[in-house]
Amino acid sequence: MTYVDKPAIPKVVKFDEPNAKLRNKLDVMLNTGSDIYQGACKKRGSTLKDEYRKVAGVAYMDPKDMAKLGVSNWDHVKVISDWGEVVVNAAHSRDAPHEGTIFIPKGPWANVVVSPETYCCCDPTYKGIMCTVEKSDDDVLLMADLMRAVYKKYVNKDDEEGIKDLATLGEMPVYKKL
Amino acid sequence: MANYEPPVTDYESIVENCTCAFCGCNCDDLDYLIKDGHVVGVRHACRLGASKIMEDMDQRLLVPMIRGEDGELAETDWDSALDKAAELIAGAVRPIFYGWSETSIETMHHGLELGELVGAVLDNQATICHGPSLQAVQNAGYPISTLGEVKNRADMCLYTGSNAMNSHPRHMARYSTFPRGYFRPRGRFDRTVVTLDPKYSDTAKMSDIWVGFEQNGDYEFYNAIRAVLKGKKLQKEFISGIPKEDVEELAEAMKNVQFGALFFGLGLTHTLSKQRNIDIAIQMVADLNSYTKWILMPMRGHFNVNGFNIFMAFETGFPYGVDFARGYQRYMNGETNTIDLLTRKECDVFMVIAADPGAHYPGGAVKHLAEIPVIQVDIHWGPSTEIADVVLPGSFVGVEVGGTSYRMDGVPIWMKKAIDKPETCRDDEWIIKEILERVKKIKAEQGALASK
Ligand code: SF4
Repeated sequence: MTYVDKPAIPKVVKFDEPNAKLRNKLDVMLNTGSDIYQGACKKRGSTLKDEYRKVAGVAYMDPKDMAKLGVSNWDHVKVISDWGEVVVNAAHSRDAPHEGTIFIPKGPWANVVVSPETYCCCDPTYKGIMCTVEKSDDDVLLMADLMRAVYKKYVNKDDEEGIKDLATLGEMPVYKKL
Repeated sequence: MANYEPPVTDYESIVENCTCAFCGCNCDDLDYLIKDGHVVGVRHACRLGASKIMEDMDQRLLVPMIRGEDGELAETDWDSALDKAAELIAGAVRPIFYGWSETSIETMHHGLELGELVGAVLDNQATICHGPSLQAVQNAGYPISTLGEVKNRADMCLYTGSNAMNSHPRHMARYSTFPRGYFRPRGRFDRTVVTLDPKYSDTAKMSDIWVGFEQNGDYEFYNAIRAVLKGKKLQKEFISGIPKEDVEELAEAMKNVQFGALFFGLGLTHTLSKQRNIDIAIQMVADLNSYTKWILMPMRGHFNVNGFNIFMAFETGFPYGVDFARGYQRYMNGETNTIDLLTRKECDVFMVIAADPGAHYPGGAVKHLAEIPVIQVDIHWGPSTEIADVVLPGSFVGVEVGGTSYRMDGVPIWMKKAIDKPETCRDDEWIIKEILERVKKIKAEQGALASK
């Protein structure tokens, strides 16, 4: 039987690990899906809050991959696929080891980089996306800001720089009361 | 201990035997602790269920809103909001009504009538989760049983492509693995739990056997098991990264149980082979049935996602992605499904009821939603509200309003009302009925004009 002992996950990322060569960019496979923290936060309705950004705007990575990139927990990384690019937090995966794969829980952040291709069978390809990960200095956006920056429904589409400079929409609903 | 939360003792009354409105397990044994007309505590629910029921009131949608010229949502009265929604729908050429999985069957009735009237596409979350499973069921059959049977009989539970501990946390506790059943008096000790998943998931951590085959290795792996079941010798040393001896051993173990239950999740439907993965899994179950009893069940996500599929199949003959554009129902995978319609930019008005495309559609599809009017009927301010033009606040099925839902095994469950809804909100059923009435009126006026 394929019994697998509990894999040993190194608690601390050792940047000076002899086998881990520091590099700027990593080719990985991206999986998305539900995760209990993301699910609980989403369905409670707290999607505007920082909490949602922490549980859904995060790439769970193998500690070895993190060492190769030279990032530690809550450092920001940019994930780039054929469909887009998004900045998320990096965090140790509790399911490691899975070198070469990263996991972003489903949500607005993951959506930017997953494939809408259904191959004529209704379901987009949310898993097994080839992408690259690199360290980033940009901020991970709050949900409302991310939706505005990516889909630009109610802002001037051509003014990329202007959108970046707009004030944040914050963590509470914004609407005009009667 | 830092993580210890004392039990809630400050409450006025208890409402017993409520049904959880989160996942397809539809746990119907919850007790709500009520104070000042709010649920302040939930007993028996898992983390997911409890967090949804004790919602975040900060983000509760309380008033109808319409987005103004300046791109900001502004509060309005119910009449104006409903009129605006009806006007958009009546004027649409290719409307999609998407969602329905977190509302009651009663609401769907009115939605279907509205869809038929205006020639809309009716679709639900199955289109982005278990749609391929439904196609496979149409291809290869549906060897299902109820969860009660699993609880009383199963001595092997196999989870494949599903992380039940994260997405259906009480599934193992209530139905499959841990409960003591009539023929399984010792509960967990009388059952073997197997997880097939490339990831060492939380479910895999609790299993007796974890088979961590390669990503996208599902199709090959099930076929190898089928080959072994048919008495063939495997030619390759490794199947999807698993040594062939292990595959043979697993096949042997699966053959020698008294009652096996295979639960599959989105790991199968979201990878490249999509519905073909499930075709083969169903055929594997069929093969196993030459030796012993095996059943298979999709792990449905929302509490009523199965309900919409059953309701639509009953009413129209097709489970989801039903297109009324020609005046009668059509269903064509890859053509009449929401994601395809959006990526092809066909849709011109989008109504979302109790769902969150902003949070769950691939960006490529949301991009089109940013170009067309979106009507949202929901209870919380979410990513979809950020791209919605008309917002209609509904009420919470199973907490603030009663309704029928279908569990993942197809058992209908009545979800009762426990507390009153916020005064300014309306029931989903009422909202859809009102829109229907108003669209009928507009159509009648247009008809009268045309005949003059
Ligand atoms: S398992 Fe599902 S239905 Fe049961 S309490 Fe948890 S979320 Fe609710």
